[in-house]
Amino acid sequence: MDFSIRAANVEDCKDIARMIMELAEYEKMADHVKVTQRDLEQDGFSKNPFFHGIIAEVPEQHKTKEGHTKIGYALYFYSYSSFKGRAIYMEDLYVMPEFRGKGIGKALMSKVAQLGLAAGCNQLSFTVLDRNKSSLEFYLSQGCFDITANMGYHCMRCEGEALEHLAQP
Amino acid sequence: MASFILRRAEPKDVSDILRLIKELAKFEEMEEKVILTEKELLEDGFGDHPFYHCLVAEVPKEQKLFILLKFNSRCSLPGYTVIGFAMYYFTYDPWIGKLLYLEDFFIMQEFRGLGIGSDILKRLSETAVKTRCSSMHFIVAENNTKSIEFYKRRGAADLSSEEGWRLFEIEKADLLKMTSK
Repeated sequence: MDFSIRAANVEDCKDIARMIMELAEYEKMADHVKVTQRDLEQDGFSKNPFFHGIIAEVPEQHKTKEGHTKIGYALYFYSYSSFKGRAIYMEDLYVMPEFRGKGIGKALMSKVAQLGLAAGCNQLSFTVLDRNKSSLEFYLSQGCFDITANMGYHCMRCEGEALEHLAQP
Repeated sequence: MASFILRRAEPKDVSDILRLIKELAKFEEMEEKVILTEKELLEDGFGDHPFYHCLVAEVPKEQKLFILLKFNSRCSLPGYTVIGFAMYYFTYDPWIGKLLYLEDFFIMQEFRGLGIGSDILKRLSETAVKTRCSSMHFIVAENNTKSIEFYKRRGAADLSSEEGWRLFEIEKADLLKMTSK
């Protein structure tokens, strides 16, 4: 199937918001989503963006029955490893179910890798839910290394009241 | 009580920052993995678009001597007054928005237990709240039980254990292979 990968622009935020919700539903965490289309527009497309996006698009003749041609995306940002320096973090990678198995996910991830290398990054990181077996298999087949399983690193979070409390004098 | 200051790192601090990064790596038994140089730290942290931000903890020279004598410890690096640091940057969660990511956080052994670590964490949390971050994220090795307890006492949740998130990495050589296919 013919598809193209390109940088996201502010007009894509509606479709990105739609697909973020689809990915959250797939991960059974839809009630965790608080970010709106407007937040994405402000946070991703202002002078100092907090993230960048790439979109996978198919031609009109392959659009979904709801009329969508934007059928996949990846969100990423630049991070830093105190061991290796510049790094790129892939926050989301998603392809709509009916477009999977056609190399689109691989192409999106490859694009993130290319962008990272072009920016002088030495590493690409991301997280996967341990119950997401098909994604785990895909990433392991691409030569990715599971830091949590192999080195025992746990992802930690301090949010909401805990964060406010920590900030108290 | 020990006096110390917390301040934003400046370009002159890169050599201390690298020294402390290596000390932390040694503590995690991964010293040989540090390939970052002072030059890269300088370019990446103090250019037009910094990849990271850094707080450093400094003690006055006289205070350092007092602490060392009081705690009867030996410091192998007598000239240094920068004795701790935290490296962080801003990330994004498409579900909840801006986050503060704490990449490294380390206080030299001789200066622990004096409230410096707690103060750094407080300063970072203030920064997170001020910049409207929903959360502060970081990783900890599961065998580092002391640090895990330190963070859990302050309300941190272990996303790997509680929600099943696993962190993955791809190194540069594999990134090049991926992009050449």
